[in-house]
Formats: sequence, C-alpha cells, structure tokens
Amino acid sequence: MAAEIRERAVQMDYTTWLKSTKVKADRPALDAEEAKRPFAKYYAEDFPKPDPAHVAKMDKPIDPSLMIHPEQMNDLLNPGDLAAEIGWGHLPNGAGFIANRMIYPHVTAAMVDWWFVWHTLEDLRYRIWYPPQHAGIMLSPGGRARILDDSIPLKERNWGVTHHVTEDCNCGMENIDISFLSPKDFGFDMSRWQEPFVSTFAGGFGWAVTVDKKDDSITAPALMCHIFRSHPKGGIEHRTRFWMGYRFSNGKPELTLPPGIKVPDAAVRGLAMHNVHEFTRWGDFLPRIFKEHGGRLLA
Amino acid sequence: MPIKLMAASRRRPGLTRAEYQRYIEHFHGSIARMERLKIDCYVQNHVIDGAFGTLADATHKLVADRDAVVELSFPTFREMLETLEPATPSAASQDGQFFADERNNIIVMAEEEEVAVDTPLTRFNPGLGIIKGVGSLKVLHYIMRDDSVFREDYYQNFRDAHVKAIAAAPYARDQLRRCVMNKRCRLNDNDAAARKHFKMVDPPVYDMIVTHWYDTIEQAGAFRQYLEALQAQDAAYADWSRSFYLYTREVPIVRDTPKS
Repeated sequence: MAAEIRERAVQMDYTTWLKSTKVKADRPALDAEEAKRPFAKYYAEDFPKPDPAHVAKMDKPIDPSLMIHPEQMNDLLNPGDLAAEIGWGHLPNGAGFIANRMIYPHVTAAMVDWWFVWHTLEDLRYRIWYPPQHAGIMLSPGGRARILDDSIPLKERNWGVTHHVTEDCNCGMENIDISFLSPKDFGFDMSRWQEPFVSTFAGGFGWAVTVDKKDDSITAPALMCHIFRSHPKGGIEHRTRFWMGYRFSNGKPELTLPPGIKVPDAAVRGLAMHNVHEFTRWGDFLPRIFKEHGGRLLA
Repeated sequence: MPIKLMAASRRRPGLTRAEYQRYIEHFHGSIARMERLKIDCYVQNHVIDGAFGTLADATHKLVADRDAVVELSFPTFREMLETLEPATPSAASQDGQFFADERNNIIVMAEEEEVAVDTPLTRFNPGLGIIKGVGSLKVLHYIMRDDSVFREDYYQNFRDAHVKAIAAAPYARDQLRRCVMNKRCRLNDNDAAARKHFKMVDPPVYDMIVTHWYDTIEQAGAFRQYLEALQAQDAAYADWSRSFYLYTREVPIVRDTPKS
C-alpha cells in the first residue's frame, strides 16, 4: 500500500491539535520533514518591509465618518475608491474597523484562489506566508476532504471550510477559527458581482482567543473581507476590511459588544499593522511560489 | 428567532419536582410576564422523564437530574444582554435561587437550524397540526461533542447520522413532527462572569441540543427507536456517556400569536 500523502498525514484530531498550538506558538525551528519540503526555502528568505508611508497611515485611528459598517459592504462593488481605503478606528457602536489596500502588479485572481486553498494543508505553508507571526494551521477532517476534492472549483473550495490558524496579530499568539463563506453568504449583492468591479474574494467570520486560554479569556468575533479587482495598470488590487466585534446571525452582521464596550485600540491597530506586513510579504512571494507550485495542491 | 438562551436546571435541595415545576410556572413565569423586557418568546419545558448516558455506563458521569429547561428567545444578542443583565437587576434574574440548584445549571446560548421531517402532520387527523410544530411531547436531546472532533465536523456528522437514523427507524420517521438543532453560539465562550455569579465550577459544555416534537407521550418509543439507530452510526461526533435526553411538556410563558 502506498504511503499516505503528507497533506493527509498531518491531520490531527481536535484535542491533539489544540494542545499542539501551545508548542507551535513558540515558532520552533522546522523539523527534518518540513526542512525537506520543496517550499521550505521560503521560510528562511528575506522579504521586503512595507512602505513606511503605508505603515504610517496605520499609526493613528481615522475619522469614523470615513468608515463603512458591514451592512454597507456592497459599496465595495462601486467603481472607484471609498472614503477610507487604508486606516483603522472604531465605529460609533464600538466595533473595530480596518481598511487596507494593496496593489500587486504581478498577482492574478487565479493565484489568489489557488493560494487560499493550497496554504491550508500544512503548517509550513502557512508559516512561509509571514514567518514572524504565522505559527500554524489545521483543518478538520471534513474540511480537509473538501479542500482536497478536485471536483469543486478552486474559488469555491473554501466555502464552508474553517481554517484553524495560530497567529500573532500584535497582541500575542491566538488561535483563530476562520470560517470561509461564499460572497453570497457573506452578504454581497451577486447581481453586481462582476468584472471589472470584482475579480475574486476570500472572506468569512472568525473567532479569536489567546493560545493560553484561561476561563475568563475573551473569544472575540470579527468579519473578514478580502476582495480583489483588476488594477488599471495591470495586476490586481486587494481591498481588506475587518469589522471586529461583529458576527453573523442568520446571515446578517450582528454587533456582539455589550453596551458601552469598544474593541481595544491595541487589538484593532495590531491587526491593521499585521495585515499590512503579511500582505506586503504575500504580494512579493505569491507570483514566485505560484510559478513553482501553482495548478496543484499536493507537493 | 436569531438567538436564545436555554437553561437546564434541577430543583434546589428540599423541593419536590412538583413543587419546583409549580413554582417556575406560576410564580417565576408570572414575574417574567410582568418584566418581559426584550423577550421574544419564553417557554418552559417541564421534565417528565429522561435518561443520562448509556446502558454500558456503570455510573452517571455528570449530574444526571434535570427538572426543567427554560428557553428564552431574543431578536439580537444585544437585546439578550440588555434583558438578562439590566442596569437594575430584574426580579426574574434574582428569583432563580428560590427554586434552582443554580451552580449546576447548564446554560447554552444557541441558534436554531431546522431539520426537515417526513411527516410534519399526523396522517389520521391533520387538525392536530393547527399550531405548527408544537406537540405534546417535546424531547430535548443534549448531545455532548466528542472532545476529539472539530465543531464543524461534529455538526455535519450529526446531520449525516440523523438522516441515516431516521431512515433506519420507521416509527420515528412516521411520528416525528418537527426537529431543530440548537447549536451553541461561540459567544457562550465569554460567559465567565455568569458562571462566577452562579458559583458554577467547570460546568459541562454542550455544543448542541436537538429538539424533537411528537404528538403525545405515547410516541416516546419512537424517539427510543431513533436514538438506538442514531447511536448505531459509525461517525464520530458524540460522547454518549455524557449525553442525555429529557421528555418534557412545553409550557409557554411568553409567546405572541403569529401575525400571519
């Protein structure tokens, strides 16, 4: 009988995975098997730092009047720019808001769709994305079966799948369960879902809690939206929005914060900064890794 | 009904089940009607009988007795908070100590997922279905997740096992009038303050309570047939030794007549 492929062999049960995240959170050196993986070289390579002007825009909160509520997500399908494309702050109801925009001259929608599926299959694939702060990823057995099901188009493969990631968004290592949704289930108006206003999408809702979870640790919800459209000068424009403190209830965004409570500044700013750094790195290495591994999931 | 709170309690020491059920229906229920606040719907499910664990267990692994499960539904989570934690404590929120063994409550914030049934109305007298989905026997099935199973697989494996169990249990297939999965909401993870208030120590966590409606207590055997078929499925998702079910009588406390 043939040996089990690594993409399946790494599967853990929930209890084992949860325990393992405390170890992963320390970002140990690659083990012997990981070091032999054909994409291991990306773990150790140098990568560009974000544009200081871009980082500066994430330093202080922006005016709430420039932000959109999650119920206004369809504004992202309008031509042109919204009032805030880069910045963070709080909505008047206390929710955290993040907007970010990246331009990737050498990235295509096909690369984006492939990446969001490919990277889920083992820790190292997630770690090479942003080694300083990405510690690991796990799927459930059911999620893995869907991700490896070649009968489903790549751009739909993540719909209904939960990525269990371990990462540091500048507030310490957290376990974040990110459940991906179709754009329709996320709430977009599909009658407007077309080029040139949108090329592809990756988004859903997440629940984040510290890896060192105690009885009174807060498990924080957020809505996550990565929407991509063609850029007039070539390549692709990536627009990120986070609404922290929101979850989906019966398919609609719902604020979960108790009255008078706002998402801490450090959490919103921390995620905003993390987003700028991880996607600066992503835009740099995605075309290269796609050239080597694109078009397939097994390596 | 976007969100509801389901609290399974047992009577405080010194009360009989009849005294407890009389108290919560006629006194506690009346207080709740007078202080409705943002409650959409409030029903009490008075326990008639039930079973904890499996025949293979030598002893109960958790507190096994339950005398009622109350269900409070709210339009939004925010309105749930405003009702359950008002600036000035409500009489209802302070009344629990007089009838319940509060530190052993099992409290679940849940969201509903309707499960299709083959025969929502009786064949012999469809008039019994005039009040849609409501029957005389309501079974609350607390299914403890197997610790090793991811939540998303737990729900999907249950859905698959349920379909197979119904196919293998013809009496249940014919008699089950309504079925709802009440899935635990992750907001529940942040209930440390409530647990501290009730002096609850490491309460069991149930990720799902499945509610079944049958016409009368006469159909309790249909649920047993279904349960045996459900537990015979291979898919891993449940810790049956820490799961339990309750046969109950539904007592509406606050429920508006549907507008349409």
